[in-house]
Amino acid sequence: MVSDVYVEEYHIDGGDFINVGTASTKLKRSLEMMGIPSSLTRRASIVAYEAEMNLVIHAGGGTICCLISPEKIQIIAEDNGPGIPDIELAMQEGYSTASDAIRELGFGAGMGLSNIKRNTDTLDIISEVGKGTRVQAVILVKSMAGGREIGRGN
Amino acid sequence: MNIPDVAEALSLDLVCCGDKSREATSVISGDLMSFIIGKAISGSIWITVQNHLNVAAVAVLKEIPMIIVASGRPVMADLKTRCDMENIALAISEESSFTLCSRLYDLGFRG
Repeated sequence: MVSDVYVEEYHIDGGDFINVGTASTKLKRSLEMMGIPSSLTRRASIVAYEAEMNLVIHAGGGTICCLISPEKIQIIAEDNGPGIPDIELAMQEGYSTASDAIRELGFGAGMGLSNIKRNTDTLDIISEVGKGTRVQAVILVKSMAGGREIGRGN
Repeated sequence: MNIPDVAEALSLDLVCCGDKSREATSVISGDLMSFIIGKAISGSIWITVQNHLNVAAVAVLKEIPMIIVASGRPVMADLKTRCDMENIALAISEESSFTLCSRLYDLGFRG
């Protein structure tokens, strides 16, 4: 049986502020080429960008895997970094553990996870201190009932 | 208002021309990447003092046609290269973000 899931995987280096944004830009181009509606493309690339930033700033790198099917776009970011001790706190807008040097570049505003949440239909975060974090974000392409595009903005 | 007209009206030094036919429809000012990602509307002019490569990455994500680097901050070479590649207008100004916003307001732009 042929799978209808298209997969793209990106390796993200920790501390690489030069190339950060590359994976999300590539994903955006791929989704545009596939004819995915622009509102969904924008949401998916924002999720991927914020996930990339978290890997670069906090996790010492990791991977981003994007699974694209006619029903949904799944973005899974995984790392073996320090983990998140309190996910609920980390989800609060404005909370950040980024250093002053990183903040001076305009990162570490404490809006990354909330931007991810705002642009996804379902978000699951599993994290263990000292072991790593897995963020799984899903954006629905069509509603299950009527095949209608989910018209959620950002 | 299209990009060349904005550049002329504000006497900006246009480092990258971008898509000359593209209309700028709104303005946002901010230096935090995630704030811009969360709040910018497609078609906005973005005023910032940030001058590194990631500014272009955020502009691509949010479909921002023009970036103005304010307060006389120098533009990094890799930011210029990326803006050229992505067809995003990049301008520099000696004026502050506040002054640029007020001048764009006078031109009829709203945030």
